Amino acid sequence: MRRLLLLASLAMCSSIAASAQEVTADDLAMDIPVMQEVAASAGIDHQYLGPWEFFVGGGAASFDCNGDRFPDLILAGGTSETQLYVNRSEAGGALKFESRAIDVNPSDLENVTGLYPIDIDNDGFRDVVVLKVGRNLVLKGGPDCSFTNASREFAFDGGRAWSTAFAATFEDAQIFPTLAIGNYVDRSAPGSPWGTCHDNQLMRPQNSEKPDYGAPEALSPGYCALSMLFTDWDHSGHPDLRVSNDRQYYRDGGEEQMWRIDAGKAPRLYRRSDGWRRMTIWGMGIAEGDIDADGFPEYALTSMGDTKLQTLDLEADEGRPVYRDIAFERGATAHRPYTGDDLKPSTGWHSEFADFNNDGRLDLFIAKGNVERMPEFAAYDPDNLLLGQFDGSFVEVGHRAGIDLDRRGRGAVVTDFNMDGMLDLLVVNRGGPASLFRNLGGRAGDRARPMGNWLEIELQQKGANRNAVGATILVKSGNETRVRKVQVGGGHASGHSGFIHVGTGVAERANIRIQWPDGEWSPSYRVFANNFVVIRKGDDAAQYWYP
Amino acid sequence: MRYDRFLPLSLALALAITGAAGAADPWSEKAVSQHIDQRDYTGTLDAARLKALIDAGEALFVAKYTTGDGAGRPMATQAIIPTKRKRPVEQAFQRMQGMDANACSSCHNDPVIGAAADFSANVFVSEGFGNADFDSADPQFSNERNPNHLMGAGLVELLAREMSADLQRQRNEAIRRAKSSGAQQTVRLVAKGVDFGVLTIHPDGIVDLTGLDGIDTDLVIRPFSQKGVMTSLRQFTINALNDHLGMQADERFGARWTGEADFDEDGLDREITAGDVSALVAWQASRPPPVTRTPENDEWRALAGEGRARFDEFGCAECHRPALPLESLAFSDPGPLDAAGTLRLGEGEEGAVYDLALLDWAKTLPKDDQGRVLVPLFGDLKRHKIADRQIATLGNELLAQRFVERDIFMTSELWGIASTAPYGHRGDLTTLAEVILAHGGDARKSRDRYANAGEDDRRALIAFLKTMEIPE
Repeated sequence: MRRLLLLASLAMCSSIAASAQEVTADDLAMDIPVMQEVAASAGIDHQYLGPWEFFVGGGAASFDCNGDRFPDLILAGGTSETQLYVNRSEAGGALKFESRAIDVNPSDLENVTGLYPIDIDNDGFRDVVVLKVGRNLVLKGGPDCSFTNASREFAFDGGRAWSTAFAATFEDAQIFPTLAIGNYVDRSAPGSPWGTCHDNQLMRPQNSEKPDYGAPEALSPGYCALSMLFTDWDHSGHPDLRVSNDRQYYRDGGEEQMWRIDAGKAPRLYRRSDGWRRMTIWGMGIAEGDIDADGFPEYALTSMGDTKLQTLDLEADEGRPVYRDIAFERGATAHRPYTGDDLKPSTGWHSEFADFNNDGRLDLFIAKGNVERMPEFAAYDPDNLLLGQFDGSFVEVGHRAGIDLDRRGRGAVVTDFNMDGMLDLLVVNRGGPASLFRNLGGRAGDRARPMGNWLEIELQQKGANRNAVGATILVKSGNETRVRKVQVGGGHASGHSGFIHVGTGVAERANIRIQWPDGEWSPSYRVFANNFVVIRKGDDAAQYWYP
Repeated sequence: MRYDRFLPLSLALALAITGAAGAADPWSEKAVSQHIDQRDYTGTLDAARLKALIDAGEALFVAKYTTGDGAGRPMATQAIIPTKRKRPVEQAFQRMQGMDANACSSCHNDPVIGAAADFSANVFVSEGFGNADFDSADPQFSNERNPNHLMGAGLVELLAREMSADLQRQRNEAIRRAKSSGAQQTVRLVAKGVDFGVLTIHPDGIVDLTGLDGIDTDLVIRPFSQKGVMTSLRQFTINALNDHLGMQADERFGARWTGEADFDEDGLDREITAGDVSALVAWQASRPPPVTRTPENDEWRALAGEGRARFDEFGCAECHRPALPLESLAFSDPGPLDAAGTLRLGEGEEGAVYDLALLDWAKTLPKDDQGRVLVPLFGDLKRHKIADRQIATLGNELLAQRFVERDIFMTSELWGIASTAPYGHRGDLTTLAEVILAHGGDARKSRDRYANAGEDDRRALIAFLKTMEIPE
């Protein structure tokens, strides 16, 4: 009955939203990116498969594993093969990938749900945390896309849970990152699957000489996490851990969670007395983006039905996380398919803010797809591309962009695979081929035109945390400031590491300031748009990189 | 002068044939009765089409824009990036924050349309991103500038394009060498004989930019404005139309980039079309270059000859290079170096090419033994430090502009200098002698040689400079 009431209310909201959203993609003057699906020609042949345990997951990791700065890929296969694709694209040219074997024990790469890249041991090679149905592991990266299983070396106990979420941060003065693992249903518990969510884990480094995760802490209760993210939500400089949970399986007291993470202290949940408002959704993915560049990020939470777009409420304060949902007023609910005849609610998974059309506004991508023949939810459920408009609202252009395929999306990567300044998109689909969309530029009739200006920024620091996880990037042009965070986590089972993309619209130059993870502010770096910028902590000037 | 009265016959005929609406009543208070359609001017224009576009551009250049055309920007600042005011401006015209002119020719008219102006036409340069009222009410928040002339501007832009392409080619080849050899490369960047410093390139493609000299880090020579911060006539035109006239070009201020068709909220949209900008660009690009005349007066002629030699001996020619060679007179519009917000190839219609060789003045330009046109600009299209502790007159600005510090300016092209007094960035030096003596910084040695020279040598140099005229 509750489900029926919810659906009725969703349908009502749908009609209101449809009438409230006056602007359609056909009316837009702004650039709609042409996203051309090229997986087959690019050499990507991949599916995410498996029974019930693999209805969720389906992630991808994107990072440079061979030192050419072009993002390579590892795709989770579920019961199918987990595959490594080395990027062979030419700058500005067609997307090309070469399949490469990962030289580890084949069983290490079985039953993989998700993957996140991060340089754990500070050796300059990104490692990969592999989430599995079963024993998770760490693939230690080496030269030329070589990997070894480093779980034993790092005292990383992969456990036997069904893992579906991951995030990482470098806590104060720590040499190695703190890892958070999100787990789903405990299938061995009595009464499973209902009300038997597994605890999540916080793995803090125990040793300053080498990675040692031998003393994990339970984050209990767990409510069947499908996404988690360390986020400095109150601009305090100390990120907390936000967890999005699937109400499908949790029971009494289950809700969205945020753990307060203080260095050296046990994590504790934010409670009602802290201002945290109970929210129960089929939480699948978290995206963070500071839409209005006020230093306090917004969050897109995917679910079944409405996507939530949360912003800090006026009642909020430091240490007091009070959020309100602005998805409806901003046209970002994305609650049902925007094309086709299926009016049932959508099922959202990976979410990510990024500027697909380089107009300087953050857009929102959401991977969509029925869980597995759930009749109450849309069967044809195309992925969303919600373009950020100049008035702060969003408008759906997925069909005009060309990403409205009849596939069941799960994890995704939004990055510039061919280094042309325009963001491409890879979507891992359940039970179907992975989609790879090349961004060709703004739609102009039957061709594509150049879009706005852009920057791509890489941060480097010596010693620990080489890739500056936790840093804030401010890109200022005129009165506009664009904010990006270097993060590991969020989305749905998928992460990428490398250049951070920023669209700058008509600004041909910008001042970049970095707040490094230790809180230190950089000088202002003067850069010209349409360049790849490399900023090393302590340097007086930025450098450019050319592909 | 109203634009409809200025319509060239060919264009008027074209409009009549296409049945274009909007023919203005003779008493209309609009300066522009018909916008230029970019689609009418694509590909390489023949002489007639080029002339038609140039004529249309002149009409737009001299037009005194009215509110009926879209003059005024009550809710937009003068900023290059579309920027809203916090509140409507109290007075539409205001000398500091603009708008501050009625026509392009208001400040480019001495001694001919398209040339410069005296101190009374000075403009104020501030970026317009802060509180516009506050910024411009206090002179410390703006730099005062005397207008430059636009004669020969097409040749200047072509030189800058060729030099930029050459420098970027040198960089890219060095990157290829570094990557293929695995060894760090250092490349000295020289274009048309002008040295722009060094780049250090690491084998992984990372480029150390700290050795660059007098050029932006993207190796784009921006030849326009006294600061050398404007890439193209097209970019500068769009900026100036908004700043000085409150006329907003659709290609930057339109809905594509701002979400609003009428960004300045003056009740009119599409105030300036891409075709209008192209016409203005074609007109400016086709301005005949200044000349070095041979004086009829025997004494002046002899002195000028002496002065030309002193020009080299004092070291003036190190920066004020007498001529730079130009490979091609084909001026493509849009150009190759503009960024989003200024029309680029691939946006809208096919671009146009204005073959400047079709113009009569082009036939008078000297050529070198390789057939290249020698553009007698007396400049190097490079920025230099022009002030020091003792000689600080030309470092008199209060603000840096677009990453360029306050004491650094683009070498002024000296062609036409006899016709463009007053001198200095602010136009506050009334004689050539004064402006020569104001050179500090990188030009200090040359300045001192002049200052320490005998009266005859100094007189000879001035006599030479006085031969560089804009023909009337």
